[in-house]
Amino acid sequence: MVLTLLGCSLSAVADEEVANVQTSLKPGDLVPDFTMPATNGFGQRLQEARGSYLMLIWLGNCDECSERLVRYQLLAESLEIEGLKGWFVWTPKGKRQPPNMRLPVLKYEEQWRQSWTFSDRPAVMLINADGRLDHLLTGDLRDNYQETEQVVMRWMSKGRDYQRPE
Amino acid sequence: MKYVLMLALFFAGYATAEDAAVREQVMTAKEAVLELNRDLYELERELLSPATTRAAFHITLNHGEYFEPLAVELSVDGQLELQHLYTERQVKALRMGAVQPLGDLNLAPGKHDISVTIRGVDHQGQGRELAITETVSKTGKPLIVELLIVDREELQSARLQLKYW
Repeated sequence: MVLTLLGCSLSAVADEEVANVQTSLKPGDLVPDFTMPATNGFGQRLQEARGSYLMLIWLGNCDECSERLVRYQLLAESLEIEGLKGWFVWTPKGKRQPPNMRLPVLKYEEQWRQSWTFSDRPAVMLINADGRLDHLLTGDLRDNYQETEQVVMRWMSKGRDYQRPE
Repeated sequence: MKYVLMLALFFAGYATAEDAAVREQVMTAKEAVLELNRDLYELERELLSPATTRAAFHITLNHGEYFEPLAVELSVDGQLELQHLYTERQVKALRMGAVQPLGDLNLAPGKHDISVTIRGVDHQGQGRELAITETVSKTGKPLIVELLIVDREELQSARLQLKYW
Protein backbone atom coordinates (compact mmCIF):
# COMPACT_ATOMS: atom_id res chain seq x y z
CA MET A 1 0.00 0.00 0.00
CA VAL A 2 1.24 3.39 -0.91
CA LEU A 3 1.50 5.66 2.06
CA THR A 4 0.26 9.14 1.47
CA LEU A 5 1.84 11.04 4.23
CA LEU A 6 0.14 14.24 5.11
CA GLY A 7 3.12 16.00 6.49
CA CYS A 8 2.66 18.30 9.40
CA SER A 9 -1.08 18.71 9.15
CA LEU A 10 -1.87 15.12 10.00
CA SER A 11 1.17 13.73 11.69
CA ALA A 12 3.19 14.14 14.77
CA VAL A 13 0.78 14.24 17.61
CA ALA A 14 3.73 14.54 19.93
CA ASP A 15 5.12 17.73 18.47
CA GLU A 16 1.80 19.45 19.06
CA GLU A 17 2.14 19.09 22.78
CA VAL A 18 2.41 22.44 24.46
CA ALA A 19 1.94 23.77 27.94
CA ASN A 20 -1.75 23.66 28.82
CA VAL A 21 -2.07 27.20 30.13
CA GLN A 22 -0.60 30.23 28.41
CA THR A 23 -0.01 33.07 30.81
CA SER A 24 2.50 35.30 29.14
CA LEU A 25 1.37 35.79 25.56
CA LYS A 26 1.82 39.36 24.45
CA PRO A 27 1.56 41.27 21.16
CA GLY A 28 4.38 40.28 18.85
CA ASP A 29 4.54 36.69 20.13
CA LEU A 30 4.02 33.74 17.87
CA VAL A 31 0.85 32.07 19.10
CA PRO A 32 1.50 28.40 19.87
CA ASP A 33 -0.37 25.95 17.69
CA PHE A 34 -3.41 24.11 19.03
CA THR A 35 -6.14 21.79 17.86
CA MET A 36 -9.46 21.84 19.69
CA PRO A 37 -12.75 20.08 19.10
CA ALA A 38 -15.74 22.25 18.30
CA THR A 39 -19.20 22.03 19.80
CA ASN A 40 -20.70 22.79 16.40
CA GLY A 41 -18.74 20.90 13.79
CA PHE A 42 -15.18 20.01 12.94
CA GLY A 43 -12.30 20.76 15.23
CA GLN A 44 -9.97 23.59 14.29
CA ARG A 45 -6.24 23.81 14.20
CA LEU A 46 -4.57 27.17 14.56
CA GLN A 47 -1.89 26.38 12.01
CA GLU A 48 -4.55 25.83 9.37
CA ALA A 49 -5.71 29.42 9.83
CA ARG A 50 -2.30 30.76 8.76
CA GLY A 51 -2.75 33.12 5.85
CA SER A 52 -5.96 34.55 7.30
CA TYR A 53 -6.59 37.08 10.01
CA LEU A 54 -8.02 35.41 13.07
CA MET A 55 -10.13 36.87 15.86
CA LEU A 56 -9.86 34.36 18.68
CA ILE A 57 -12.34 35.05 21.45
CA TRP A 58 -11.66 33.33 24.76
CA LEU A 59 -14.87 33.15 26.74
CA GLY A 60 -14.93 33.49 30.50
CA ASN A 61 -17.90 32.24 32.46
CA CYS A 62 -20.26 31.37 29.71
CA ASP A 63 -23.49 29.42 30.03
CA GLU A 64 -25.38 29.66 26.75
CA CYS A 65 -24.02 33.18 26.47
CA SER A 66 -24.92 33.53 22.78
CA GLU A 67 -26.47 36.98 23.26
CA ARG A 68 -23.21 38.36 24.58
CA LEU A 69 -21.39 37.15 21.48
CA VAL A 70 -23.75 38.06 18.68
CA ARG A 71 -22.02 41.34 17.89
CA TYR A 72 -18.63 39.65 17.71
CA GLN A 73 -20.08 37.07 15.37
CA LEU A 74 -21.55 39.75 13.11
CA LEU A 75 -18.25 41.63 13.12
CA ALA A 76 -16.34 38.51 12.05
CA GLU A 77 -18.90 37.61 9.42
CA SER A 78 -18.95 41.11 7.96
CA LEU A 79 -15.17 40.97 7.49
CA GLU A 80 -15.01 37.37 6.34
CA ILE A 81 -14.74 38.47 2.72
CA GLU A 82 -11.56 40.37 3.63
CA GLY A 83 -10.03 37.25 5.13
CA LEU A 84 -11.06 37.42 8.78
CA LYS A 85 -11.97 34.26 10.62
CA GLY A 86 -13.67 34.27 14.01
CA TRP A 87 -13.48 31.47 16.56
CA PHE A 88 -14.83 31.30 20.10
CA VAL A 89 -13.13 29.19 22.73
CA TRP A 90 -15.43 27.93 25.44
CA THR A 91 -14.39 26.07 28.57
CA PRO A 92 -16.95 23.66 30.01
CA LYS A 93 -17.65 23.85 33.71
CA GLY A 94 -20.34 22.04 35.68
CA LYS A 95 -23.64 22.07 33.85
CA ARG A 96 -22.84 25.07 31.71
CA GLN A 97 -23.89 24.83 28.11
CA PRO A 98 -21.90 26.18 25.16
CA PRO A 99 -23.19 29.16 23.19
CA ASN A 100 -25.10 28.37 20.04
CA MET A 101 -23.27 30.23 17.28
CA ARG A 102 -22.71 30.03 13.54
CA LEU A 103 -18.97 30.51 13.96
CA PRO A 104 -16.90 27.64 15.35
CA VAL A 105 -17.17 27.30 19.13
CA LEU A 106 -14.07 25.43 20.21
CA LYS A 107 -14.17 23.48 23.42
CA TYR A 108 -11.10 23.53 25.63
CA GLU A 109 -10.64 20.28 27.50
CA GLU A 110 -7.50 19.40 29.36
CA GLN A 111 -7.60 15.82 28.10
CA TRP A 112 -6.53 16.93 24.63
CA ARG A 113 -2.78 17.25 24.79
CA GLN A 114 -2.60 19.38 21.67
CA SER A 115 -4.74 22.17 23.10
CA TRP A 116 -4.10 24.96 25.56
CA THR A 117 -6.06 27.69 27.26
CA PHE A 118 -5.36 31.34 27.97
CA SER A 119 -5.24 32.29 31.62
CA ASP A 120 -6.59 35.83 31.33
CA ARG A 121 -10.12 35.15 30.10
CA PRO A 122 -12.28 36.69 28.73
CA ALA A 123 -9.99 37.99 26.05
CA VAL A 124 -9.88 38.77 22.36
CA MET A 125 -6.75 37.87 20.42
CA LEU A 126 -6.14 39.29 16.97
CA ILE A 127 -3.72 36.98 15.22
CA ASN A 128 -2.21 37.97 11.91
CA ALA A 129 -1.64 35.86 8.82
CA ASP A 130 1.81 34.85 10.07
CA GLY A 131 0.36 33.44 13.27
CA ARG A 132 1.63 36.31 15.40
CA LEU A 133 -0.44 38.03 18.06
CA ASP A 134 -1.04 41.61 16.93
CA HIS A 135 -3.54 42.75 19.56
CA LEU A 136 -4.72 41.42 22.88
CA LEU A 137 -7.80 42.86 24.55
CA THR A 138 -8.69 41.47 27.94
CA GLY A 139 -11.73 42.12 30.10
CA ASP A 140 -15.48 41.83 29.85
CA LEU A 141 -16.56 41.15 26.28
CA ARG A 142 -19.61 43.44 26.47
CA ASP A 143 -17.56 46.36 27.80
CA ASN A 144 -14.80 45.79 25.29
CA TYR A 145 -16.89 45.45 22.16
CA GLN A 146 -16.60 49.03 20.90
CA GLU A 147 -12.85 49.06 21.39
CA THR A 148 -12.51 45.64 19.75
CA GLU A 149 -14.51 46.77 16.75
CA GLN A 150 -12.35 49.87 16.31
CA VAL A 151 -9.13 47.92 16.68
CA VAL A 152 -10.28 45.23 14.26
CA MET A 153 -11.33 47.81 11.66
CA ARG A 154 -8.01 49.61 11.94
CA TRP A 155 -6.11 46.34 11.94
CA MET A 156 -7.87 45.00 8.86
CA SER A 157 -7.49 48.27 6.94
CA LYS A 158 -3.80 48.61 7.70
CA GLY A 159 -3.01 44.99 7.14
CA ARG A 160 -0.31 43.85 9.40
CA ASP A 161 0.30 46.82 11.64
CA TYR A 162 2.68 45.17 14.02
CA GLN A 163 6.31 45.41 13.09
CA ARG A 164 8.51 42.76 14.59
CA PRO A 165 11.27 44.25 16.71
CA GLU A 166 14.74 43.70 15.34
CA MET B 1 54.92 41.03 -24.21
CA LYS B 2 53.80 37.84 -25.94
CA TYR B 3 55.57 35.72 -23.30
CA VAL B 4 54.00 37.63 -20.45
CA LEU B 5 50.55 37.01 -21.92
CA MET B 6 51.22 33.28 -22.35
CA LEU B 7 52.48 33.07 -18.76
CA ALA B 8 49.35 34.80 -17.48
CA LEU B 9 47.11 32.40 -19.44
CA PHE B 10 49.07 29.43 -18.11
CA PHE B 11 48.62 30.53 -14.48
CA ALA B 12 44.96 31.36 -15.08
CA GLY B 13 44.37 27.83 -16.42
CA TYR B 14 46.26 26.35 -13.49
CA ALA B 15 44.21 28.36 -10.99
CA THR B 16 40.92 27.22 -12.63
CA ALA B 17 42.01 23.58 -12.47
CA GLU B 18 42.96 24.01 -8.81
CA ASP B 19 39.55 25.63 -8.08
CA ALA B 20 37.77 22.70 -9.70
CA ALA B 21 39.72 20.26 -7.57
CA VAL B 22 38.85 22.17 -4.40
CA ARG B 23 35.19 22.33 -5.41
CA GLU B 24 35.19 18.59 -5.95
CA GLN B 25 36.72 18.02 -2.54
CA VAL B 26 34.08 20.25 -0.95
CA MET B 27 31.32 18.33 -2.73
CA THR B 28 32.77 15.03 -1.54
CA ALA B 29 32.98 16.33 2.01
CA LYS B 30 29.36 17.55 1.83
CA GLU B 31 28.17 14.17 0.57
CA ALA B 32 30.09 12.45 3.36
CA VAL B 33 28.44 14.72 5.94
CA LEU B 34 24.98 14.04 4.51
CA GLU B 35 25.61 10.32 4.55
CA LEU B 36 26.85 10.48 8.12
CA ASN B 37 23.79 12.47 9.09
CA ARG B 38 21.52 9.85 7.52
CA ASP B 39 23.36 7.07 9.34
CA LEU B 40 23.04 8.94 12.63
CA TYR B 41 19.32 9.46 12.04
CA GLU B 42 18.80 5.78 11.33
CA LEU B 43 20.87 4.86 14.37
CA GLU B 44 18.80 7.20 16.52
CA ARG B 45 15.58 5.64 15.21
CA GLU B 46 16.96 2.18 15.89
CA LEU B 47 17.87 3.14 19.44
CA LEU B 48 14.65 4.97 20.22
CA SER B 49 12.36 2.53 18.53
CA PRO B 50 14.06 -0.77 17.79
CA ALA B 51 12.21 -3.30 15.65
CA THR B 52 11.61 -5.55 18.63
CA THR B 53 9.48 -2.92 20.36
CA ARG B 54 8.32 -0.75 17.48
CA ALA B 55 4.57 -0.43 16.95
CA ALA B 56 3.21 2.02 14.41
CA PHE B 57 -0.43 3.00 13.99
CA HIS B 58 -2.03 4.51 10.92
CA ILE B 59 -5.58 5.55 10.08
CA THR B 60 -7.43 5.33 6.80
CA LEU B 61 -10.98 6.16 5.79
CA ASN B 62 -12.61 4.02 3.15
CA HIS B 63 -15.13 6.29 1.34
CA GLY B 64 -16.30 7.98 4.52
CA GLU B 65 -19.83 8.48 3.31
CA TYR B 66 -21.44 7.26 6.53
CA PHE B 67 -18.89 8.46 9.06
CA GLU B 68 -16.72 11.51 9.55
CA PRO B 69 -14.13 11.22 12.31
CA LEU B 70 -13.74 14.09 14.76
CA ALA B 71 -11.41 12.55 17.32
CA VAL B 72 -9.51 9.34 17.93
CA GLU B 73 -8.09 7.84 21.10
CA LEU B 74 -5.92 4.74 21.27
CA SER B 75 -5.15 2.89 24.48
CA VAL B 76 -2.79 0.03 25.06
CA ASP B 77 -3.41 -2.17 28.10
CA GLY B 78 -5.79 0.44 29.49
CA GLN B 79 -3.33 3.30 29.16
CA LEU B 80 -4.18 6.18 26.81
CA GLU B 81 -1.26 6.42 24.43
CA LEU B 82 -2.31 8.29 21.29
CA GLN B 83 -4.98 10.82 20.50
CA HIS B 84 -5.80 13.13 17.66
CA LEU B 85 -8.42 15.73 16.81
CA TYR B 86 -9.49 16.16 13.20
CA THR B 87 -10.08 19.31 11.25
CA GLU B 88 -12.23 19.46 8.14
CA ARG B 89 -9.17 19.67 5.93
CA GLN B 90 -7.69 16.54 7.45
CA VAL B 91 -10.91 14.59 6.98
CA LYS B 92 -10.99 15.70 3.35
CA ALA B 93 -7.45 14.39 2.94
CA LEU B 94 -8.44 11.05 4.51
CA ARG B 95 -11.41 10.83 2.15
CA MET B 96 -9.05 11.35 -0.77
CA GLY B 97 -7.09 8.30 0.30
CA ALA B 98 -4.51 9.69 2.68
CA VAL B 99 -2.98 7.44 5.29
CA GLN B 100 -2.48 9.25 8.56
CA PRO B 101 0.45 8.18 10.71
CA LEU B 102 -1.20 8.39 14.12
CA GLY B 103 1.98 7.65 16.00
CA ASP B 104 4.68 5.18 17.01
CA LEU B 105 4.81 3.35 20.33
CA ASN B 106 7.27 1.09 22.03
CA LEU B 107 5.63 -2.19 22.94
CA ALA B 108 7.41 -5.09 24.56
CA PRO B 109 7.04 -8.46 22.84
CA GLY B 110 4.00 -10.31 24.16
CA LYS B 111 0.25 -9.85 24.26
CA HIS B 112 -1.34 -6.41 24.44
CA ASP B 113 -4.91 -5.17 24.49
CA ILE B 114 -5.38 -2.40 21.98
CA SER B 115 -8.51 -0.28 22.31
CA VAL B 116 -9.45 2.35 19.79
CA THR B 117 -12.34 4.78 20.04
CA ILE B 118 -13.17 7.10 17.18
CA ARG B 119 -15.78 9.76 17.78
CA GLY B 120 -17.45 11.42 14.85
CA VAL B 121 -20.72 12.06 13.10
CA ASP B 122 -22.75 9.92 10.73
CA HIS B 123 -24.19 10.98 7.38
CA GLN B 124 -27.18 12.55 9.16
CA GLY B 125 -24.99 14.67 11.40
CA GLN B 126 -25.70 12.56 14.48
CA GLY B 127 -22.88 11.85 16.92
CA ARG B 128 -21.47 8.35 16.62
CA GLU B 129 -18.69 6.38 18.19
CA LEU B 130 -16.75 3.52 16.63
CA ALA B 131 -14.85 1.35 19.05
CA ILE B 132 -12.80 -1.79 18.87
CA THR B 133 -10.67 -3.79 21.29
CA GLU B 134 -8.33 -6.51 20.15
CA THR B 135 -5.54 -8.50 21.72
CA VAL B 136 -2.43 -8.50 19.61
CA SER B 137 0.72 -10.52 19.95
CA LYS B 138 3.82 -8.41 19.53
CA THR B 139 6.70 -10.42 18.19
CA GLY B 140 10.29 -9.41 17.60
CA LYS B 141 9.25 -7.78 14.33
CA PRO B 142 7.79 -4.27 14.07
CA LEU B 143 4.03 -4.16 14.53
CA ILE B 144 2.28 -1.98 11.96
CA VAL B 145 -1.43 -1.54 12.45
CA GLU B 146 -3.89 0.22 10.20
CA LEU B 147 -7.08 1.52 11.82
CA LEU B 148 -9.50 1.20 8.97
CA ILE B 149 -12.86 2.97 8.93
CA VAL B 150 -15.01 1.14 6.42
CA ASP B 151 -18.46 2.05 5.14
CA ARG B 152 -21.14 -0.62 5.34
CA GLU B 153 -23.46 0.23 2.48
CA GLU B 154 -26.15 -2.30 3.45
CA LEU B 155 -26.51 -0.83 6.94
CA GLN B 156 -25.74 2.75 5.94
CA SER B 157 -23.18 2.94 8.70
CA ALA B 158 -19.47 2.41 9.22
CA ARG B 159 -17.30 0.10 11.24
CA LEU B 160 -13.79 0.17 12.51
CA GLN B 161 -11.37 -2.67 11.94
CA LEU B 162 -7.72 -3.27 12.60
CA LYS B 163 -5.50 -4.44 9.78
CA TYR B 164 -2.02 -5.77 10.43
CA TRP B 165 0.60 -5.10 7.78
